[in-house]
Amino acid sequence: MLGLEVVLPDGEIIELGGKTTDHPGYDLTGLLVGSEGLLGIVTKVTLRIVRKPESVKTLFAAFDRIEDAGASVSGITARGVIPAGMEIMDSLCIRSVEEAIGCGYPVDAGAILLVELDGPEAEVTAQLPIVEEVLRGHNANEIKIAKNSEERDLFWKGRKSAFPAMGRISSDYYVQDGVIPRSKLAEVLGKVGELSVKYGLRVENVFHAGDGNLHPLVLYDGAQEGEYQKALELAGDILSVCVESGGSITGEHGVGHDKKRFLPLMFDESDLDTMNLLRCSFDPKGLCNPGKVFPTPRTCVEPGLKPFKEHPAQKAGLGEMY
Amino acid sequence: MKKSQSNTIKELISITGEAGSLSDSSVLGGYSVDGLVPKAVLFPESEAQISEIMKVSSRESISVMPLGSGTKRSLGNIPTCLHVLLSTQKLNRVLEHEARDLVATLECGVTLESLQSRLKDNNQFLPVNPMHTARGATLGGVVASNASGPLRLRYGTLRELLIGIRVVRADGTVFKGGSKVVKNVAGYDLPKLFVGSLGTLGIITQATLRLYPVPERGETYLVSFTTLEKCAETVMELLKSDLVMNSLELLNPPLVMELADRTGIEAKRGEYALAVRVMNIDKAVSEQMSLVKKVCNEVRGHGATVDGALENKLWEEIVNYPWNESSEDRVKLKTGVLITDVPRVFSELEELLNQKDVVAYASAKAGNGIVDITLNGGASTLTSLVKSLRNLAESLSGSLVVEAAPPDLKRQIDVWGDMGPGLALMKRIKFNFDPGGILNPGRFV
Repeated sequence: MLGLEVVLPDGEIIELGGKTTDHPGYDLTGLLVGSEGLLGIVTKVTLRIVRKPESVKTLFAAFDRIEDAGASVSGITARGVIPAGMEIMDSLCIRSVEEAIGCGYPVDAGAILLVELDGPEAEVTAQLPIVEEVLRGHNANEIKIAKNSEERDLFWKGRKSAFPAMGRISSDYYVQDGVIPRSKLAEVLGKVGELSVKYGLRVENVFHAGDGNLHPLVLYDGAQEGEYQKALELAGDILSVCVESGGSITGEHGVGHDKKRFLPLMFDESDLDTMNLLRCSFDPKGLCNPGKVFPTPRTCVEPGLKPFKEHPAQKAGLGEMY
Repeated sequence: MKKSQSNTIKELISITGEAGSLSDSSVLGGYSVDGLVPKAVLFPESEAQISEIMKVSSRESISVMPLGSGTKRSLGNIPTCLHVLLSTQKLNRVLEHEARDLVATLECGVTLESLQSRLKDNNQFLPVNPMHTARGATLGGVVASNASGPLRLRYGTLRELLIGIRVVRADGTVFKGGSKVVKNVAGYDLPKLFVGSLGTLGIITQATLRLYPVPERGETYLVSFTTLEKCAETVMELLKSDLVMNSLELLNPPLVMELADRTGIEAKRGEYALAVRVMNIDKAVSEQMSLVKKVCNEVRGHGATVDGALENKLWEEIVNYPWNESSEDRVKLKTGVLITDVPRVFSELEELLNQKDVVAYASAKAGNGIVDITLNGGASTLTSLVKSLRNLAESLSGSLVVEAAPPDLKRQIDVWGDMGPGLALMKRIKFNFDPGGILNPGRFV
């Protein structure tokens, strides 16, 4: 993101960044990205575009154990290869997908790993044998390389059908979004498995293994009393597991309303106070998306007041000053 | 009642102890910034000590300038006030490095050089190669000044590489932002705010960085052309191709001659040159380099392949010359323009230099539109030269920052240039983070 046009909360329209880079000043463009509408309304964006990669090669590998799939991911990067994408599906996912659309996934596999390499032909061709070697070295019992784009689409068909395929085995699902360090995959999956048993609800695991972004699908039956609530609690506990392992409560979907109560898992009062300083710089009146992202409302200090002097309202216990 | 300044300085020194401070006027002169001499230099050993220092400084309105090893001390306008220099050099531990995650967390005083050497054990590196690495540039400083080098073509800058941060605010509050995982969208992207913030919003104490595997090998093609136009044409051909280059540097004739002298690589006098670097798996390097040579030959460039230790030396010189030689009155500029306007900057520079006693060394990250220019000599003409270049850059929707200059020049020209319509917002952020204006007053926002 090189630049953007934003309508600030007071109505002013400004352009930040632009087509050139390294503008002097703070990186306000970077700050606005991911700010979930709390700092202003972005109306235009200036993006850097890149050439499409010359070559794309997709590998499909099936494993008996999901731990081996996870270890392969680390193994691939340890050999100096950074694929464009790496996706893992667990056995529950594989079975439901195969039942739903029959794309040729081995139904008794413990896990499937898809690896997509892209880049100059010379680079991709050189990387392929390295990735194959790593997969074999981690007990992959089936390795396929897509020969053409039709085969490639077929490899991906299952992964892309993972969510809708849930309809085969459950009336409802709640999709969670959390991030963990790649090295903690086996450990976290183990804990998610324990939570699944504890709550008596199935959890299917689909994830962007390349960056540690999990999408556990908590399966439940909304018609059963209390099950939705249980699903929410399970999903929330998964976030705690993610943060405890050194990760994040969200890799893609954002915080919004749904996860604001979990923000304190990652950030303490000083951290949240500091973020509030930013909000106050843009939106002192709290007009933009109030009630989202941050769990407790905070007021803004008026310019001219020294922050470390106790304000009468603060003394009276009516408000907090940051 | 406010303390006397000398008592406050004593209180600050008591935080780090005599062994962690300098207050002897005979040595403080060596720590001057643009002619201003601090009253003390502090060397805290921990984040907690930094927090204490800031609490006192905030209370007593003591202005503080944070610095790592001070390689970017000359960056910024002349400070309006300089009471204390706060060095982060003693915070020099690598705290976490999980090789499987390609992430490392370290204290801000870790030097880039020592980090790279440590990461090499796992065949990993932080893909940033800015100036002054050999002079001990610290990660805190690299982040705070958004320092970058030719590797940014492939890997981006600290903007892309920094994923988590810990900071001490002006009032001593310690906070963290971002996370330790490469993908995270929880809360505001505070790390981005701190990249390039030059110590004006807080003192960075820890950074979490994304790492990359070290490529199997690298090779550079140093190729010169009879005209700037041919050089520029080749740049566009290379960028339009399917090559993935690690670096693509456009060098002006004076710089090319110095590089040739200092590395022993052959180059033609008076010609512009390109340094094209490919780093990858062995076979991928060979195949891509063949394509590079083919493209260059089509435009009739004369080139030489450079690899091994000589390749490293070449890039070190490209990045650092002439700043790896000691001297005084040099001026360093960085201008950012569109990729297609880079040749314009070079030709304008040539024209401006006609019949002047100024030598200019210029190297452009041609795939990013960033041109680094060093001007030697002729103090009286430099001001107007810099102004002309800035006018050109700004007329091309770009910017020009004076990254280093003698104070005399700084008194005549704002080093940052036009910060754009976001300036009022930046000032509000600065005020909210540092209401007392004690962090680097006058240097930046």
